[in-house]
Amino acid sequence: MRTRNIRAAALLAVGALALAACTSAASEGEDAGSGSGDTAPPAEQVTITWWDNQQTDSGLSEYQQIAVDRFMAENPDVVVEVETIPYPEYQQRLQLAVQGGNSPTVATVDQIWTAGLAARGNIISLDEYVAASGSVKRDNFFAGAWDSAVVDGQAFGVPFNVDVWQFTFYNEDLLLAADVDPQSLTTWDGLEAAGAALTGDGQFGIGLFGHLGEDTVVVMDSFIFSNEGEVLDSAGKCALNQPASVEALEYLAGLQQYAPAGVLNNSSGEMRELFLNGSLATEFWPALEQPTLQDSDINWGFVAGTAPAGKTPVGTYGGWNLSMFTDATDAERDAAWRFIEFITSPEVNGDVVDLLPANIEAAKAFVEANREGPEVILEHLNNAKPRPLSENYLELSTIQNEMFQSILNGTDAQSAADTACVAIDGL
Amino acid sequence: MRSLAQSNRRRRLSPFGSSRNRAARAGLLFLAPAVLGVAALVFWPLVQAVWQSMHKTPSGFSSASEFVGFANYIDIVSGNSFFFLIVNSFAWTLFVVVGQNVMGFLFALAFNARWQLSGILRAIIILPWVLPGVVAAVLWRFMYDPQLGLISSVLERLFGPELGRSQFLADTNTALAAVIVAAIWKGFPFAFLIYLAGLQNVDRSQVEAATMDGARFPRIVLSVIIPSMRPVIALTLLLTAIFTFNYFDMIWVMTKGGPLNSTHIFPTFIFQTGFGQFNFEMAAAYGVLAFALLLILLVPYLRHSLKSERDED
Repeated sequence: MRTRNIRAAALLAVGALALAACTSAASEGEDAGSGSGDTAPPAEQVTITWWDNQQTDSGLSEYQQIAVDRFMAENPDVVVEVETIPYPEYQQRLQLAVQGGNSPTVATVDQIWTAGLAARGNIISLDEYVAASGSVKRDNFFAGAWDSAVVDGQAFGVPFNVDVWQFTFYNEDLLLAADVDPQSLTTWDGLEAAGAALTGDGQFGIGLFGHLGEDTVVVMDSFIFSNEGEVLDSAGKCALNQPASVEALEYLAGLQQYAPAGVLNNSSGEMRELFLNGSLATEFWPALEQPTLQDSDINWGFVAGTAPAGKTPVGTYGGWNLSMFTDATDAERDAAWRFIEFITSPEVNGDVVDLLPANIEAAKAFVEANREGPEVILEHLNNAKPRPLSENYLELSTIQNEMFQSILNGTDAQSAADTACVAIDGL
Repeated sequence: MRSLAQSNRRRRLSPFGSSRNRAARAGLLFLAPAVLGVAALVFWPLVQAVWQSMHKTPSGFSSASEFVGFANYIDIVSGNSFFFLIVNSFAWTLFVVVGQNVMGFLFALAFNARWQLSGILRAIIILPWVLPGVVAAVLWRFMYDPQLGLISSVLERLFGPELGRSQFLADTNTALAAVIVAAIWKGFPFAFLIYLAGLQNVDRSQVEAATMDGARFPRIVLSVIIPSMRPVIALTLLLTAIFTFNYFDMIWVMTKGGPLNSTHIFPTFIFQTGFGQFNFEMAAAYGVLAFALLLILLVPYLRHSLKSERDED
């Protein structure tokens, strides 16, 4: 009898492990955060924790530590503990820390998480700090990036780094061989004609991708924005089924014939592989792609986005804001704000980011020193729009992503958009 | 010589209690750390997950979640995702478990006898199981790639460019089958090892008797070997079913549950809901449902093992 009970308990335990794995285990976040509220600071010193993620192998941590050391030298009453986390695991680590009550004092937060974290009360409004600040002002940052942190009229973050989807990177040799003018890629008709001219014999004209991922959504958004369409209208209602948006979706799906096979499971990463091996003529990426291409043998160039003739290409913002978490004490918040002012200042911002600095002055200096075509990048950054500021953005994005897959799979664009809008408006 | 009755009386009269009680107490003491560990690491999170699944975080700058009872469960059962999750999860589990066990059993039969190079080949067969799931998934994703993949290039040579450009992972009709094949390859060595060990315990005299009676190999397998290995087969089926039902990394890396949800199973959907959409309450509710379904898988085995033990008693 005992044996039976033990066996039954053991089997229940095996099953329970499956469930236990999905609950938010606070203990997993503990090694990453210092529990800002619990640590007893030395007299007159405040310790804050800053979490950041790293998207490229650029030795960023070293530069960040130099900046942090400088800040601590200038502010001897503040100790900053930096936790740099690889991008793929950042979201989970931060979420687990927040769920477990071990959030950092300040962290870089993806633009698309800001509204959700604000709505759940995980991050605080920075309005009072901004009002009293001499340096952190909307005018000092790219407008779209600043707006990506404003929820219901309150600023919940300060833009830290930005980039814009999408630039169309092209293989100059392949375009030359097919007699395609690179500037023609900036118009819808030109891009489609280039796709036709560049596709064949194991070569593909356009690096369209449609896997389940945010890169699919931002490219989709930029085609919608460039046709003067919207994802959500000013009242917060779904606008994907409006004529301008549907037209953009139809156009984008039509490019599938010039893209590498397997669009529904292809990502920007796979398009990069094909672009680098010379079998893909154009790829959609943000300016972040430039260092990779600079290290390659490809003879490349780029243009900013694509729009119907007579319209201006409008990109979609990507990037990160600095937000302060609810768990911090007043003293920690004051110290964290000084730190935010410091690392978003024109002198420092460019040294501590691996995308582009969000501070306009810092961005100008950064792209002129590190990127090809700085004026093209800056113009596209100034034109770009943020993704919808919805507290349900992540669910909205999944619905939008599935809508696009459905269109690529043959569903009529209007009907797929109508279905998506019912789901989005029901969130 | 003392009678058994006298001996028992002495034990009962011992000031330290009977030796059986002492042994039971010692047993409980030895078990306590493990029980506490399991309670803290498994059952407590389980209770938390159930509790969390009955809450919802309201809109509007509040971190306090509200108790909503079974509302999350009602939303799930009445939504679109539940149906495809059930179908996908059971299809995935059924085909992967059958595939892994059939392959594992056949390979075990082939490698039961010692022949030249069988030792090296056994080690090679185990390799897929040793590979981390993510690495195996990346390998298979690359093999399925329509442009660069090995499978595509072989198909192209054999059947021409049309079939060679097959989009196995990007087609809603083939994506689940494609990840099932990869999962069978990844997991069958586990069944192979257990069946190989089980074959060592099959009574050789019965096999020899059947051979002398003129039975061919398939008949010996069906009538002698499989019946002898029934407990091993039942346990292996159960374990592979649990592992497969809870499998995550292979599908997530290969398709992220797409295209159009055609490869989503409970673990991938739970991950997407929790970490992709920050909806931990709903993820917990899906987790509780997945746990309940897993229990259904366990019931036949539990009943069978309880019956076997009653028979033995």
